[in-house]
Amino acid sequence: MVSTPCKRCGSPLEDGDLRCPICALVLPEREGTVRADEPSVRVMRCQGCGAAVRYSAEVQGLRCAFCGEVMRIEEVVDPPEHTAAYLPFTVEGERARAALRSWLGSRGWFRPPDLRKRAELASLRPLWWVGWVFDARAKVSWTCDSDAGANRADWAPHSGQFILSCEEAAISASRGLTTEEAETLFPSYDLRTAGEAPGAVEGALGPPIVEEFDVQRSQARRRLLAAIDRVAESRVREYAPGSRLRNVHVVCLLHGFESRGLAFPAWVLAYRYREQLYRVVISGQGETTILGKAPWSLPRILLAIFFGIVALLLLLGLGGLATGALAF
Amino acid sequence: MTELQVRCATCGADILLPENLRTADCPYCGSSSVVDRPPSVDRPLPTFALGFVIDQARAQSIARQWAKSRGPFSHGGIRRAVADRTLGVYVPAWLYGARAGAQWSARIGEDYTVTETYVTTDAKGRPVTRTRTRTETEWRPLSGLWDAYIIDVVVTASKGIDNDALESIEPFDLRALRRYRPEFLSGWTAEEATLSRAQCLAQAREESQAEVYERVKAFLPGDRQRDLRCEVSLEDEVADLVLLPVWVFTLRYAEGKPPLRLLINGQTGRAVGHVPLSAPRIAFALLLGLGLIAFLLLAFGVGDLW
Repeated sequence: MVSTPCKRCGSPLEDGDLRCPICALVLPEREGTVRADEPSVRVMRCQGCGAAVRYSAEVQGLRCAFCGEVMRIEEVVDPPEHTAAYLPFTVEGERARAALRSWLGSRGWFRPPDLRKRAELASLRPLWWVGWVFDARAKVSWTCDSDAGANRADWAPHSGQFILSCEEAAISASRGLTTEEAETLFPSYDLRTAGEAPGAVEGALGPPIVEEFDVQRSQARRRLLAAIDRVAESRVREYAPGSRLRNVHVVCLLHGFESRGLAFPAWVLAYRYREQLYRVVISGQGETTILGKAPWSLPRILLAIFFGIVALLLLLGLGGLATGALAF
Repeated sequence: MTELQVRCATCGADILLPENLRTADCPYCGSSSVVDRPPSVDRPLPTFALGFVIDQARAQSIARQWAKSRGPFSHGGIRRAVADRTLGVYVPAWLYGARAGAQWSARIGEDYTVTETYVTTDAKGRPVTRTRTRTETEWRPLSGLWDAYIIDVVVTASKGIDNDALESIEPFDLRALRRYRPEFLSGWTAEEATLSRAQCLAQAREESQAEVYERVKAFLPGDRQRDLRCEVSLEDEVADLVLLPVWVFTLRYAEGKPPLRLLINGQTGRAVGHVPLSAPRIAFALLLGLGLIAFLLLAFGVGDLW
């Protein structure tokens, strides 16, 4: 649960945070700390038997040597990351099937000609996969080598700074989808449709799979910061001169950052063609965003190679004849 | 050192507590007391504490293992060292952070290869012309700005354990940081900050500037870099007092020799101590080495040169 942004860098602070994870500014304690006006002595006592107790390294709390009572002090709060909202399916099962048929029929000449006809749907399951959407504002310092201004060496060094402002950038936390699959699916979603719970799904052949984040909050933050660095690195191209870059280094000074853990809808389909299973993923909010695997047609590929060689030989032969004719 | 007279809350006995300690054990009833003093600039209330994870038995086992694994040139008594005193101490330290800015300039080297021809002689002594490639570096000046947050710079606030000693047993896992509660200290020795805040902040700034320099160095492009100059500014500073868990062992390893201090990180178990070397062992090794060299020279006929 997001409480308040950090007063220093604007990053979101959550319940249990002792200090800002980005700039380390300490949060004030909720209840006022009692400060002694004059030296006083305190003895920690067991809540069970009243004996004096000591802090135990083993139990990470106070333990009474007489009655064995353990008193916890303050736990380190690093809860698992949670899903803040779910995007609904706007593509139902029937449309996903139709999209698969259409996709299979448009795979090109190098695929088996009977692919669309003989492919049998083996499974059609709705999946809510998880990822983060974040907004970030940062001052980015960068350096790189580019071909602009190169002299004897192929590269020349450059440096600069720019203000990064990225909105609704996304990174995947899914175990079921690959990074490439998630990146392809992201643009198909309308984030304004996010709701509190997974909605109903029509036309599924099995129960929906609802992924959960499998990282702690601290690890999630590290991944998000790394993602901001990657975004900044990709933007250096807009500011650095030249057409080729290498050794790109960025350092971000964040002054605004918000993130949300979201669950995105997708159809995961499997079809069988000649005893072999192939996987296809379709966005749950736009059936035109579809990616997956399809078999190749070996005879067609061999035929194309054969015709290619024949064409090459013909060209060489014609070329030879023409050269001979000229020589003659 | 002025002492504070406090009354044991269990048996009512008077206890004299040194000014640099936050805890006391009653010598009459054994109760552990935690002292609250009015905070001041140089001796503020700790903000955070890292609880001990390594208990006494585990710390003793680490100390034994450390003593056994010393090198062959260390004093022979180290392996049989006896712990004179074992103390789990909460050491005060400042946790410093700042918004760092650097104005830097450097020379950046970009490598390129040149092909050159040269004349040499072949096996039969005839002159032949050959080519070879050579890597050269083109140096260019580059300057720029660098801005980032510097966080978690730890500097000691204790006169007892200086900064080098504390650094030697770092790092501490600051993810386990908890807000200070006197309960952490019950039954342990806890030191008050004995170095002034200004002194500690100066040390923290020095460490931060060194960190910025290293980070800017890693930030430079090119195949090689030289002449890096960095003008660092630290703004918007934060500094909080944290109590760090450290086991202090005093090991007696030889009669008449001062005891050896071994520090163990109370969270990770990292042990560091200054090991006295054995002069007879080093001399013996040197003699053995020289003897071996002399033997080899004689055996392989270099003696003929004489």
